[in-house]
Amino acid sequence: MALLEIDNLSAFYGRAQSLHNVSFNVGKGEIVAVIGTNGAGKSTLMDSIMGMVKNTGAIRLEGQDLIGFDSSEIVKRGVGYAPERAHLFPFMTVEDNLLVGGYTARDDIGRNLAHVHELFPVLKQRATQETATQSGGERQMVSVGRALMTSPRLLLVDEPTIGLSPKVCSEIAATLKRLNEEDGLTILITEQNINFAMSLATRVHVLETGHLRISGTPQELAADDALNKAYFGG
Amino acid sequence: MSTQITWKHLALWALFLGGMALLPMLVGKGTLRTIIFANYLAIFAMSWDVLSGRTGYISFGHPFLIGIGAYTTAILSYRFDVPVGISIPVAVIVTMAAGTLFFLPALRIKGTYFALVTLAFMELMYQLVQVIRPDLTGGTRGISGVQTLTRGAVNGYYLSLALMGVIAISLWAMMKTRLGTALSAIGMNEEAVEGSGLNTTKLKLFAFMVGAGVAGIGGAFYVHYLGSIAPRALFDINFLFTIIVAALIGGASTIIGPMAGAFFLTFLLEYLRPFLPGAERYFIYGSIALILYMYEPKGLYEILRKARERLTGANA
Repeated sequence: MALLEIDNLSAFYGRAQSLHNVSFNVGKGEIVAVIGTNGAGKSTLMDSIMGMVKNTGAIRLEGQDLIGFDSSEIVKRGVGYAPERAHLFPFMTVEDNLLVGGYTARDDIGRNLAHVHELFPVLKQRATQETATQSGGERQMVSVGRALMTSPRLLLVDEPTIGLSPKVCSEIAATLKRLNEEDGLTILITEQNINFAMSLATRVHVLETGHLRISGTPQELAADDALNKAYFGG
Repeated sequence: MSTQITWKHLALWALFLGGMALLPMLVGKGTLRTIIFANYLAIFAMSWDVLSGRTGYISFGHPFLIGIGAYTTAILSYRFDVPVGISIPVAVIVTMAAGTLFFLPALRIKGTYFALVTLAFMELMYQLVQVIRPDLTGGTRGISGVQTLTRGAVNGYYLSLALMGVIAISLWAMMKTRLGTALSAIGMNEEAVEGSGLNTTKLKLFAFMVGAGVAGIGGAFYVHYLGSIAPRALFDINFLFTIIVAALIGGASTIIGPMAGAFFLTFLLEYLRPFLPGAERYFIYGSIALILYMYEPKGLYEILRKARERLTGANA
């Protein structure tokens, strides 16, 4: 059974529909990427899984339906969410940002914090710095770190590479890979950066204006002419 | 915020409150009465800050809560001869219940809209107090001759100081916990708090209850200090803005900030009185608040902190 099953999912903001009957699975231990341009519905997809949008259809974690539950319950069941790094607490120290993430997994705070510091040593050095004064790359680390503080089994990462240099992107990719390989963490990322997504994921889904258009392995998608035209201009 | 409470912190609190306790020996009765008002204003500003400074839900209706506390105990003790030992706790509980009422709009709306709804609460209360059961509320004239708890400025001062001290230290200790951190996080990005698995509804409700509870305590004791209550003095825009400005120029999301702001404002308004007896004083204080806020949005607290950093940095 897949860890996460998304079945016929639609999402609504009032009357506006921003996801249309999206279905896909994320297997245990997989890294799955959803790619799409601005406004394709990537963040809506993440927010839907977190229970922050009005949905129809089904989202199941290990067979149990998540729709209708509060975000706090969904986090407790093992979904960790690293939103775009703009969604940190800007006038709070790195340490406090991480500790807010540790609110639900109280017994694991010490262990999780040590793990985050090991993955991102710079966050330990900058523990007392306010995140508003940090570089984009470091803030992205705080965002992922904060999600890891919730002791997740499934990690959602929303557009981790937005506005970051290639060097920082590859560092983030390496860390996500390490989390996947060493800790067996299942990861779902959304991206505009196709190369980043293809280098990391075992399966890739393409989202366009709320519809899931193409799905496949990175190899299959690389061979797809239509996709190449749409995203690489050739 | 997650820094531990140390002996140094406690020593500083003791020094501050100890110093305040010596004041009646140093200043005259008139000044002392001014400081009593400052102490109560500090309580109101701290209460506003728990509710609005931390969570970012700006309340424009704080006098509504203070008024409920004040009127409840005034009516109970004056009209029904309920002893203050009972009427004050009842007033605090009623205010907390009103805080829950206040909380309902916060489930759906934020920002300017929330501020306007809360302002409506205050205006509504102002009108209601005058028309509904004026035999109880005293209508527009209010109630005078409410039992006072203390006699003389010195005793009144010590009571207000003790109240302020207990409230300040309790709130300060509470805000040092993860709960305080989470409340501030709501003010910065509520959705991210939710996405981290915290129940923001419960956290907000808690902040509103604590804020209302403190407002109720402040309002109840204040009316028993003044001995009278009138709707126009209480449900008043100037009173409201004095509270908000005290919290903001002192430094929102801190404890020392709203207290410092309350003292700063009270003395500013008092010292301006001989020169500008009319409402022009509010113009001066508005300008000072504006300049201070433009220069340092985090308030006096941050200015003092930076000055200390510069001094200790220079010494090192």
